[in-house]
Amino acid sequence: MVYNDGTRAVEGISFSVDEGEFFGFLGPNGAGKSTTIKVLTTLLRKNSGKVSVSGLDLDKSPGEIRKAVGVLSQETSLDVDLTGWENLHLQGRLQQMSGRVLDERVAELLKLVQLEDVAKKPAGHYSGGMRKRLDLASALIHRPRLLFLDEPTTGLDTQSRAAIWEYLEGLNRNEGITIFLTTQYLEEADRLCRKLSVIDHGQLIANGTPSELKESIGGDTINLTLKDATLRPTVKEILRAVPGVIDVIDSDGGVTAYAKSAGQIIAAIITSLDRAGIQPSFLSISSPTLDDVFLRKTGRRIRAEELSRKETEPFLT
Amino acid sequence: MTILYDTQSLLERYLTKLIRNPTLLGTNLVTPVIFLVLFSQLLTKFGEFIPSTPGGYLAYLTPGVIMLNAMISAPLGGVSLANDLNSGFLSKMLLTQVSRPAILLGRLVTDMLIAVAESIITIVVALLMGVQFSSGPPGILLILVTVAFFEFALSGIFLTVGIRTRKTETISALSGVLFFPLIFISSAMFPISFFPSWAQTFSNYNPVSYASDVTRNLVAGGLTFNSLVSAYLLIGIIAGLTFAATLLQFRKVVS
Repeated sequence: MVYNDGTRAVEGISFSVDEGEFFGFLGPNGAGKSTTIKVLTTLLRKNSGKVSVSGLDLDKSPGEIRKAVGVLSQETSLDVDLTGWENLHLQGRLQQMSGRVLDERVAELLKLVQLEDVAKKPAGHYSGGMRKRLDLASALIHRPRLLFLDEPTTGLDTQSRAAIWEYLEGLNRNEGITIFLTTQYLEEADRLCRKLSVIDHGQLIANGTPSELKESIGGDTINLTLKDATLRPTVKEILRAVPGVIDVIDSDGGVTAYAKSAGQIIAAIITSLDRAGIQPSFLSISSPTLDDVFLRKTGRRIRAEELSRKETEPFLT
Repeated sequence: MTILYDTQSLLERYLTKLIRNPTLLGTNLVTPVIFLVLFSQLLTKFGEFIPSTPGGYLAYLTPGVIMLNAMISAPLGGVSLANDLNSGFLSKMLLTQVSRPAILLGRLVTDMLIAVAESIITIVVALLMGVQFSSGPPGILLILVTVAFFEFALSGIFLTVGIRTRKTETISALSGVLFFPLIFISSAMFPISFFPSWAQTFSNYNPVSYASDVTRNLVAGGLTFNSLVSAYLLIGIIAGLTFAATLLQFRKVVS
């Protein structure tokens, strides 16, 4: 997928999501997650490749695809002058619903996202979390079997995030709705998704279940922070020589070593470093996390500095 | 018909938004009264120079104010579309099964209704101030149809600019540059016999003159079939061009 200005946003990616799956697309800001969703939901035209959504060919039946899918965009898009009820009602009418069927569906969704009490207030008066919930409800109005969520909890407080997680788990478990979610939060991907693809710079770098991905690291991680970055090569050499260490890579502020069971070799590591006269300023051992998967594949961590890089691509081009 | 259902749904949306914004609604409804009272009172003596017009300058001015209001409300649609583009609401609509042209039609019909509502207020105030509408209720109805058609042609300009630039500032800047020459170098506010010859020439080709003259003939009497046809033909050509331009810009966004 190449934008008009020549930016290559997503290239050569291939994946499939089964019906009923809770699928996560994990990657930092600017990785190409939103672009992928826009292509899959017919908002952007791809330059090449083959895509089928809900068994329908993207090029041949975009209209049918729009009928089958619900989309929650990254930017909350509501009409702030209209009330919660009116927003849902309008969305339903644009999805060709009418009459009692629509009225009942609106009432049902307002209850689901717990906005019944404020349904008659303009959406402009809602908090960020309430707007996101209303937006989620409007994506569900026409009972889609497949739901695309583009960073549904970015910018939300912990409480609102937890509420959204609960709705999504319920929708997937109780109604069997297939969910395709993009996120830059490892915690979110770990908790919600049963299958994951990790994307960075427009390319897929890993696929699998969260536990498969963690296992692929090959064991525990040992993080060493160094005061003097020039010591890195020496430290890496020392660690590689320790029996039981599988691999050593550079990480932010120091090095990270991978080992089958870190507890048994930690003493040996410290002794070796001590003998060389090197004292790490911080040392920690952890079971593998998705962050480690990302670090292992890219040499960087997903975290705040990464998140502050604003996406510059406009929503429509 | 999907297109009719969707146009109606979106028309209701825009009208609800307008009602929720009392300042905008109030300004739109009061402007015609202000123009009519202000100009007719300031320029009462002007009537002496146009003895051929029954009812004096107020009667001459009424059609001009109707056109002026239509022009002032024409940019509303472009502004609204630019806002929808920037807020992501347009993308949200495009993700539904909505008929694509209905997104434009819903907005155009809204703009036409606003212009018609303002014209009705202008006509009522004019009647209260003593203006005689020689062609009676059928004539008033034809005035409203003319205004709606005129508004359709004008709105398209701003819808095109709104989609292309996505900037409401550009739309308001453009409306000023476009409106002052169009309204004042036409027969809308003053008889063109007072103009220098270059302005008379401009006015003779200015669509605002055609729309004003049709309306004026419906107020004062003397509408000919030919002047009606030529006015509708000219407005029709402009409407066709602006709607085509809007569709073209919109297709770039939609696909």
